[in-house]
Amino acid sequence: MAAEAKPAAEEAKMDLFEDDDEFEEFEINEEWEEKEEAGEVTQQWEDDWDDDDVTDDFSLQLRRELESNEEKK
Amino acid sequence: MAAYLSMGEAHRRINDYLNRFADSVMSQDVGSLKSLLTLTADSPFLLAVADSISLVQDGNRLIKQSEKYSQLAEILVPLLRAIQCYRVNNLADAYHAFEKAANAFVQEFRNWDSAWALDAIYVVAYEIRVLAERADTKLSSEGKSPEKLKAAGSFLMKVFGVLAGKGPKRVGALYVTCQLFKIYFKLGTVHLCRSVIRSIETARIFDFEEFPNRDKVTYMYYTGRLEVFNENFPAADHKLSYALKHCNLRKEANIRMILKYLIPVKLSLGILPRDWLLEKYNLVEYSKVIQALQRGDLRLLRNALEENEDRFLRSGVYLVLEKLELQVYQRLLKKIYAIQKLKEPGKAHQLKLEVIIKALKWLEIDMDLDEVECIVAILIHRNLVKGYFAHKSKVVVLSKQDPFPKLTGKPMGS
Repeated sequence: MAAEAKPAAEEAKMDLFEDDDEFEEFEINEEWEEKEEAGEVTQQWEDDWDDDDVTDDFSLQLRRELESNEEKK
Repeated sequence: MAAYLSMGEAHRRINDYLNRFADSVMSQDVGSLKSLLTLTADSPFLLAVADSISLVQDGNRLIKQSEKYSQLAEILVPLLRAIQCYRVNNLADAYHAFEKAANAFVQEFRNWDSAWALDAIYVVAYEIRVLAERADTKLSSEGKSPEKLKAAGSFLMKVFGVLAGKGPKRVGALYVTCQLFKIYFKLGTVHLCRSVIRSIETARIFDFEEFPNRDKVTYMYYTGRLEVFNENFPAADHKLSYALKHCNLRKEANIRMILKYLIPVKLSLGILPRDWLLEKYNLVEYSKVIQALQRGDLRLLRNALEENEDRFLRSGVYLVLEKLELQVYQRLLKKIYAIQKLKEPGKAHQLKLEVIIKALKWLEIDMDLDEVECIVAILIHRNLVKGYFAHKSKVVVLSKQDPFPKLTGKPMGS
C-alpha cells in the first residue's frame, strides 16, 4: 500500500454512494472497430484560437469604455 | 408465485440447473456458465429455478446426493441460496450467499491452468458489484447500515490478486480493476485505486495494449478523472484523450462523460473545443465558460460558474474551471493592449494599472490598485504575461516580444 501521504485533492470530493458519472458497462464480448469517424470527436479542438482581433462586440464596447473614460479625465 | 408448480417439476428444474452448471464446468463451456451465474439479468430460466428452490426447500440434498454435483457443492449450495434470496428480494442475504459461491468459484479458477473461465469471472465480478449496490440501496432505505459494496470491494481485491500474476489469466485483471474503480468512486474512497493502479502500471511483464479495448477505455476514463482531481492536467489530457479515441462511438453516454472531464482539462491547457462537440454531446454548460475565455470576460466566467455551481461541484471540475480566471485576465489584458495599439502603437506596451481597473469596473468587478497589482504579479509569475512593474508610475511594462505567451497545450506556469 501507499506509504507516502496522499494528496489532499484526492479526498472526499465525492458524495457517499453517488457517482453521477459512472461509466456505462460495455458488454463482455463487446467489440468495435476503430472507425474513421473517431476522428470526428478527437479532432474538435483548437489550440490556436487566441488572436489579436478586437472587432467583436465585446472588444468594441471595451474600447468605447476605455476611451470615454480617458476623455473624462 | 410457485403454487402451480408440482414437486416433481421443481426437482426437475433444479436438477436441470445443476446439470448444466456441472456440464459447463466439465466441458469448459464458458458461454453456458456465464448465463448460469448472471443473477441480475432476471432470465426466465433462473427465475423458474428460484421458484423451484423455494418450493423444494431442501435443494441442497439434490447436490449432495449426486457425485457429479457434490464436487462443486461449495459453489452450488450458496449459489442456489443466492438465486432464491434474490428472487424474493432478500438482497442482503443474496449478496452474502453469492459472495460465498463466488469465492469458491474463484478458488477453483485459481487451480485451473488455463484461463478458459475468464468470461465467467467477469460475470462474477460484475454481479457482485451490482448485487452489492442493490443490497445497499435496500438496506439504507430500511434504515440499516449499507456495507455490502465495501465488502464487494474487498472481495474483488482478492479476485484481482488471483488474476494479476503472470500467465494467461492476467488479461482479466483490468476488467476487475474497472469494477473496483466503479465501487471506489461510488463510495468516495478513490485513494484505494492507487495500489491497483500501481500494480497495473508497473507490471513490465504485460503490455497495457494487450488488455481488451473495453477495459482500456474504462480504465483510462477513471484514471483520467483521478488526474483531474489531482490537477495533473497533462496526464489527465493523455488518459481522457485515449479513452475518447478508443471508445465505441455508439456508446454516446460514455463519450459524453469522457468529454465532461476532458473539456475542462483542455481549457486549462489553453485548448478550446469546437461548438459542434458541445452541441452534439449536450455539454452546453461549458459554452459560456468558453466564451468568457475567448473574450476575456471575467464577469461572464463568474456568472457561468455560479449558474452551474452544483453541477460543476458534483463532477469535481469546479476548481479546475475556477482556475481559468487567470487565463481570462490574460485575455482581457491582451485586449486592452490591442486596443491601445490601435490608438498609440508606440505606447501600447505600457499598461496602466488604472486602465485595467477601469476595464474591470466596466465588468462590474471592483478592485483597487493593490489587488490589480497582485493579479498582474501572478500573471507574470505564471508566464501568462511577460513584462515588469514600474512601481512608481503604476504601470506594467510589457515585453515587446510575445507579451502574452499562449499555452497551446502546456499547463499554466510551465
